[in-house]
Order: sequence, then C-alpha cells, then structure tokens
Amino acid sequence: MGEPLRQPLEPRTPYPAATKRKLSSELWKHRKEYLAISPFYLLFAVFGLFPILFSMYLSFQRWDGIGVMTFNGVNNYRFMLTDPEFWKAVGNTLLIWIYSTIPMLFSALVVAFLLNASFVKFRTFFRIGYFLPNVTSLVAVSIVFSTVFSNNYGLLNYIFTLFGLDPVEWLNHTWGIQLAVSFMVIWRWVGYNAVIYLAGLQSIPTVLYEAAKIDGASGIQSFFRITLPNLRPIILFTVITSTIGGMQIFTEPQVLVGNDGGVNGGGLTIVLYLYREAFINNYFGYGSAVGWGMFVLIALFSLFNWKMVQGKGTM
Amino acid sequence: MGKTRMYIFWLLIVVFMVSGCSSNSSNPNQKTLTLWYWNRGLDDKLIQAVQKQFPDVRINAQKIGGDFKSKLKTTLAAGSNGPDIVAFNDWVTELFPSADRFYDLYELGAKDIEPDYLDWKWQFGVTPEGKMIAMPIDTGPTALFYREDLFSQAGLPTDPEEVHKQMGTWEDYFKAGEKLQQSLGNKVKLTDNIGGIYTQINAQSDKIYFDKKDDFIGESSDSSMKKAWDLAVQASQMGLIANANSFTSEWNAAMNNGKIASFVGAVWCKQILMDAAPDTAGKWRVARAPGGDGNNGGSFLAIMKTSKHPKESFEVMKWLMNPENQVTAFKDINLFPSATQALDAPVMKEKEDFFGGQSTGEIFTESARNVKPAYFGSKYANLNGIVTRELQSVALGKDPNTAWAAALKRVKKELLR
Repeated sequence: MGEPLRQPLEPRTPYPAATKRKLSSELWKHRKEYLAISPFYLLFAVFGLFPILFSMYLSFQRWDGIGVMTFNGVNNYRFMLTDPEFWKAVGNTLLIWIYSTIPMLFSALVVAFLLNASFVKFRTFFRIGYFLPNVTSLVAVSIVFSTVFSNNYGLLNYIFTLFGLDPVEWLNHTWGIQLAVSFMVIWRWVGYNAVIYLAGLQSIPTVLYEAAKIDGASGIQSFFRITLPNLRPIILFTVITSTIGGMQIFTEPQVLVGNDGGVNGGGLTIVLYLYREAFINNYFGYGSAVGWGMFVLIALFSLFNWKMVQGKGTM
Repeated sequence: MGKTRMYIFWLLIVVFMVSGCSSNSSNPNQKTLTLWYWNRGLDDKLIQAVQKQFPDVRINAQKIGGDFKSKLKTTLAAGSNGPDIVAFNDWVTELFPSADRFYDLYELGAKDIEPDYLDWKWQFGVTPEGKMIAMPIDTGPTALFYREDLFSQAGLPTDPEEVHKQMGTWEDYFKAGEKLQQSLGNKVKLTDNIGGIYTQINAQSDKIYFDKKDDFIGESSDSSMKKAWDLAVQASQMGLIANANSFTSEWNAAMNNGKIASFVGAVWCKQILMDAAPDTAGKWRVARAPGGDGNNGGSFLAIMKTSKHPKESFEVMKWLMNPENQVTAFKDINLFPSATQALDAPVMKEKEDFFGGQSTGEIFTESARNVKPAYFGSKYANLNGIVTRELQSVALGKDPNTAWAAALKRVKKELLR
C-alpha cells in the first residue's frame, strides 16, 4: 500500500534551472500560506528544536544550573556508561516495560474484541469507561495506588488479611515496586489502546469474515487468519507508542516511592534517574547526556520491536 | 484598505504593552520590590504590612508553587528579570559556588544585626570566604517526640526531663527501645526509619562530610558520618525500626495507629504529626534529643545581584525578620524564630493540648540555643542521598560492611564529578 498515484503532469520547466533567486521568489509568491503555517514552526523552533539542540550542547558541559558552564568533553557520557545506577535504571525500565506492556496490549485487544462484538449492550458507555483512566490526573492516580500497595495499611494487604494471607510489604521489595508501577500503567493505558484496536477492528471489511465462513473457517481460525494479520499495522503502532511511553515512565514511580526510586532503587527508571541527577543533584550537563542516552535506547528498542512485529519479509 | 487598520492594530498593541510596563502608582519615588517565596515560607500578613512600614516601597510578593529550587535556578540561568528578594531553604549551601549572583549582605550592613541572631543559623548563610549571601528566616531545632502512654506502659520514664536524663545518648535510647518493644509484645517499634536516625545524628554534629575547604572528611574520626552510620545500623540490627519513610501515608498511618513510639524530628514536625495522627492527641511529649541538640531545615532570604534596589530590599528583609516580627510569624504560621530575643517571648512557652499540656516551646528554644555551627558544603544533599540509599538496603538485610564500602565508593565517585 501507500504508493502515491502519479498523475501525468503538464510539462514544466526543468527544476535544475531553479536558482536562489527563484526560490526566494517562490517563497514570496506563497508568503501568505507560509505565514499561515508559521506559528507551529515558530513555536516548535523555540520550544522544541532549540531545547533539543541545546541539550546536545549541554551534554558536553559541566553545569550546576547556575554557575558557569565548563567544557567537559565526553566525561558525562563516560560517567553514564560506567555508573551502575544508570544501568540499574535501564534494567528497571525494561522490566517495568515488559511487566506492563504485554498484559496491557493483550487485555486491550480482548477489550476491543468484546466491545466490537454484537452482543455487548451500552457500548458507548463501556468505551468511555475504559478510556476514562487515560485522562485522569497521573499524580492523583499514583497517590491512590500508593495507598492500595502500602506496606502495612494498604487496601491490598487488607484484602489479603481478610483471606487469612500474610500481608506483603510491597514497597519494600524491588519486584513489588515494579509490579505496582506496572499495574498503574496497565490500568491507565488499556482503554486507550482498546479504542485504537477497536478502530482497527471496525476497518476490517466484513466480506472477509463472510467469505471465511462460507469456506468453513471456525471463529478462532478467522481471528488468527483475518483479524490478527489485518490488525498488524495497528498493533505495530501501539507497540511503538507504548515503547516510547514505557521508556519514559517517571511520575508513577516518583509519586509512589520518591526521587530515589524507593528501596534498593526498584522504581528508579531512566527518567527518574535523569531527574534526580539534574534537578536534585544539580548536574544539568549530565542530565542532558542521560537524555541522549535514553534517545539512543528508545530508537534501538523501537527498531527491534518494529522488526519483531513486522516479521520477516514484510518490510 | 486593510493596511491602515493593521497599523492601528499594531500601534494599539505597542501602546498597551508600554503602558502595562509602567507602574500606575501615585508616588513617583515608589520602588517595586519583587519577592519570591513559597506558601507558608513567610508570614503573608507581615508582607502586606511592609507597605505601611515603607511608604516608598511597593512589594510584589509572588508565591512560587511547584519545584521552587528549579524555578529559581532557571531564573538565575537566564540572568535577568529575576526577583529582588528570594527565599532559600536549607539548600542555601548548594548556592555557595554561585555566591557572586547575590549581594553580600555584610556590605549592606548586616554586621550590625548579627548579634541579634542565633550564631549557628547566621553562619549557615555565610560562605567559607566570608561572604554573607543569605539571612535567617526560621530554624528547625530538633528534639525527641515520644508517646508518653507507651513509655509509661513499658516502665520507661515519662517526664521529659527524666526521659532526657535516661536517654541522653543514642545507645541508651536504643536500650530503652529494646525494653519498650519487649514489654509491649513487639507490637510497637521504637522509631520510624533508618535514614531518619542517620540524618538526625549528622544534624547534631559540627563536622559531617566537608571541612570549610570543601575537602571530604567523612573518613576522619571526628566526623559524624561513620558514627551516624554505625548507630543507624545498630538500631536496625536491634530491630527498633518500623521502615516507615518519613511523612508518607505509611508513616501517617503508623503514627496514628500507635505503631511507632518515638522519633527525633525538627520543630516543624509538630504540625505534620498533628495532621497525621489526630487519634493520638494528648499522648505525645517532647524531650531533648538523645545525642544532643541539632537543627533540621529552616529557610533564608537573599538579594539577587540583578536587583536594582539592594538597599531597600535589605531594609525590608531586616524589618521582616526583626525579633518582634519573628514572634508575630510564629503566632501566625508557626515559623520557629532565629532571633535570640524572639526565643524568649512568652508566646513560645504556651501549653499545647496535643502534647498533653506540655509547653514544647521550652524544649525547642533550648535546643535552638545549643545547636553547633556546622558547615554542610555544596554537595551535602548528594552525599546524604547516597548514604541513606545504602542504609535503606541495610534495613532490608544487606550486609552493613558491604553497604558501607559501596557507599564510600559511590561518594568518592561523586566527589570527582
């Protein structure tokens, strides 16, 4: 798909003749259009492009946020690659991503499938209901979850003791913190992804299912042979967006267990580490370097996911 | 035809912008001072009274919400348009390397009022080079908060003076804690968390991580770093710690449910405790802390170098922080004074119902008078973070020697950055 249709064009003056003068006159001719689209580009240049370039510059500087910047060579990057806490943060982030994304996307698919089924009543209500967590304030959610997973007085432990089980000190264990954070992510994003899947499901032509039925395919067969292949680009999209989002988890662990990532740093994600080093410990140059490290990681990881989901041969 | 209209439009915009910049005051000599502080950092009523006290000054007080420190840093980095007067918390020492961004208050006449303030608090705002960048607002003297009823059930002394006599050192306090936990069937822990003990012991010391040359002294025998570490580890190994991080919902619940019998904290913990543990009203008392008096927290005022009115700013600060007004601020919003005269005010001795009719002010004023001046260094918070992280893993079973080695290694790496 996607090859743009080329209409036979009227013969035009060949492009190579175009000079600088010509370009500027082209610009001048379309000045109103350019003016109309300029606000986005201006805002992007100021609030997007400049900070990105500046952080690149900053990552080679030593700067406490107030004093003078001094050139630091690649020392920031060297410190990052040799800092065990950075690698711990990378590991934590990957683990939390795995704990959260796989169950999240799977349940989103199930939810979407159910919402698409003809026997479900009040579909709009459920769609809104599932989407609602996504627009809830993240800090409020984190505070609520912190009382759910609280070590001694949490809701979860209350339920455990009701059933005669021993309470678990969730936030005193690395896995407990990561589980709690993953749970928050799942709760928040299932509905969002379900809505996207739902749109995908509805775009699959019903004739395919009808044809399969006539050929004697079972429900499961048509799910795996028709639904999944047709949803593949949508799944790819959700995997990539949740990779980018998952690599940037910050608020959940910060509100849940604090700037240090809690006991043994179980909730120390890459962004939390970046925040701590830059804004708590005043290493702004180093924080920028970590930001670029994270950029590389996300790019690699997205590429990996892309290859995985696309499968061989389809690229 | 559109063109003329456009010109008028732009002209109007310019006129509005220009007129918006000029002050519309009736007094032509009036100077506007911008002040940055945070909610409850200063007494709002006093700030409003500045206008009456100084007819030539219009004060533009802005409460900066959210992350105050990073907003201040952003402003400092931008280099202009900052406030005239700015409040700092106890992270003032992090700003020492940038001391030239602030007026030296000694040059504006601060020497004259120096004797009015607690010396250790005053020194807190003076750089090792002798530049005074910040003047005291409030202090956070520390003391032992304890549950009188639980101490009594465990057969421990209950009178604040007796408590201090029998638990004058941390070792004695821990011993008493063992007795307390045994007699109460191990349902109550002596204190809240390991990091708290470590931080409080350092807060009682005059030598922590750095000397005034900013050399690391944590490994020398007269620094409190290792002592504090060892005592904190000891408390953990004796099982005296509830592992409830300070001021979390966990901590609040443990306090309210009577699971924690005592903790060493600053005077501002009073308000937090009252809000966290309403069910325990009347059962708490305060005694002088084991190990000596210390300070934790307390804020400052400084004048930025970009200010055009340093003299006026200093006059306003001086007035805001004079002993009388410190008493007012204590009455209004519980800012604990830093001026010695204010500590003697009768209002400091009022009885408090939450503390069973005890006048805790007597304990805290005494503590405030006896704090030793300490130098924290610009990397105090970084180092404290590293060490308390390791201590937390000790509390959950990591070998203390391994943890100490790891902490020292990380600290040294940090010092080389």
